[in-house]
Amino acid sequence: MKKLINDPFDVVDEMFEGFISANDHIIKPVGKRSIARLESPIAGKVGIVVGGGSGHLPAFAGYVGKGMADGAAFGNIFASPPSKPVVEATVAVNGGAGVMYTYGNYQGDCINFDKAQDQCREMGIPVQSVVLNDDVLSAPKDQASKRRGIGGLFLVWHVAGAKAEQMASLDEVVAATQKANNNTRTVGVGLSSCIVPANGQPTFSLADDEMEIGLGIHGEPGVKRVKARGIDSVIDEIMESILADLDYKGSDVALLVNGLGGSPAEELYVVYRRVKQICDANKINIRFKHVGEQVTALEMAGVSVSLMRLDTELHDLITNAVVDTCMYKKL
Amino acid sequence: MANVNGAVVAKALVHVAKKVEENKDYLCELDGEVGDGDHGVSMTIGMRAVTRAMKSLDDSVTPAEVFQAAADAYADEVGATIGPLYEAAFAAAAASAGDKGQLNEIADWADIYDAMAKSIQVLGKAERGDKTMLDSFFPAVDHIQALADKGGPLVDALSSTAKAALDAAIATRDLVAKKGRASRLGDRAIGYQDAGATSLAIVLQGFADGIAGA
Repeated sequence: MKKLINDPFDVVDEMFEGFISANDHIIKPVGKRSIARLESPIAGKVGIVVGGGSGHLPAFAGYVGKGMADGAAFGNIFASPPSKPVVEATVAVNGGAGVMYTYGNYQGDCINFDKAQDQCREMGIPVQSVVLNDDVLSAPKDQASKRRGIGGLFLVWHVAGAKAEQMASLDEVVAATQKANNNTRTVGVGLSSCIVPANGQPTFSLADDEMEIGLGIHGEPGVKRVKARGIDSVIDEIMESILADLDYKGSDVALLVNGLGGSPAEELYVVYRRVKQICDANKINIRFKHVGEQVTALEMAGVSVSLMRLDTELHDLITNAVVDTCMYKKL
Repeated sequence: MANVNGAVVAKALVHVAKKVEENKDYLCELDGEVGDGDHGVSMTIGMRAVTRAMKSLDDSVTPAEVFQAAADAYADEVGATIGPLYEAAFAAAAASAGDKGQLNEIADWADIYDAMAKSIQVLGKAERGDKTMLDSFFPAVDHIQALADKGGPLVDALSSTAKAALDAAIATRDLVAKKGRASRLGDRAIGYQDAGATSLAIVLQGFADGIAGA
């Protein structure tokens, strides 16, 4: 294992120290593993708290700032934070209009965020949660509540953040975020494993000539391994899964082509090119798009494609959103 | 074997932590087959926090206070799924130990293990056969409860209970996962031994050895 680290068990604390220092014009620490926007709490604005395991930057803490999240809790690598930093972030961002949690659907995150939610409600802070489940291949459609949350959060959080910036009520922010999630689908393909620092070994092994479709952002196995081949036909398969799960034909969409951490931007544009061709063929109108590394899995090579179907409200929220966060900006 | 007072339980927990850390890579390997490969890391982080908490206790501590300190260590530092589950389990152990000064009887440990397993079941919403840590814990509880009725030396009972847990952990290979990341794999998880069931067996072995050596 060759990484830019010291003791593998110190990675998260040392990363956190560097992160808060490098972004001290946008955020402040509010606990040992929790941060909040410098301006928080903002009176009358719904606070949005995000979080999850470390190892996915820019997700999740990288999106704290104007237009997305107000606070975040850091977990260990690929492990949900305990409830404590979530509570700290909640208290720090509560401006009187309540707080919304939004995070990916994993058992650890659900248990710890629910616990924080109970604790904060007891303290008198209204808290609601929107749990994201955009990963099409992680469970069949009739068991969609079991699906995990992956790259789609980047699109959903544009909507959440923009709605909250309009000073909408907690119920309205929750409703818009839930609608955004319900209209978002993602499928990924992994080309190589990643190494959890304190583990020191690749999480799984994939032969040189193999790709894994449906791979999760923690190295969880996907649904099938295929022989490595020209990427167009792999993207065709990915898009087929997405388009079969939700009717996108003729719709306006927001689109993310997301690098998993170990694939160069050049390759992501090769992927985008194919995705665009497929959208054109299906009369899908791309109203917002982004190509880049957003929801990563350490150094894993691969890509995920996320599509959000837009109605007028989602369209206006995402296209007009002004975002200025630690690791992502949109003017 | 000395009287199993709070100080002995604390020492046993430090021994548990050592056993878990020794098995870190093995547990990660088991988890990597069907999960995300970090179970040994999460358990090690938790048990390091427990060890720090144990070292800050004085010798007059009660067993319940020791278990509660372990629960608090997990609550503050671990997260993941395993953090709240072990926090709940150690808190249940503390409640079960109550105001007892010593845990010298097999029945004391049968009650503690039973309370721990049940608290995990409630929080994790898992059942027997779901391929989780409960698939080694419940058979271990059955085993020690039977021994509590029969009687015998505590050390032997704890040791054979740990063995029962390990046998049951190995038997999880035949199960389909219903909880956690592996649950999304369906039949692909068959053939792989559950990491959480295995670490639980290691924890029980750590208790047995730690108390025997005290």
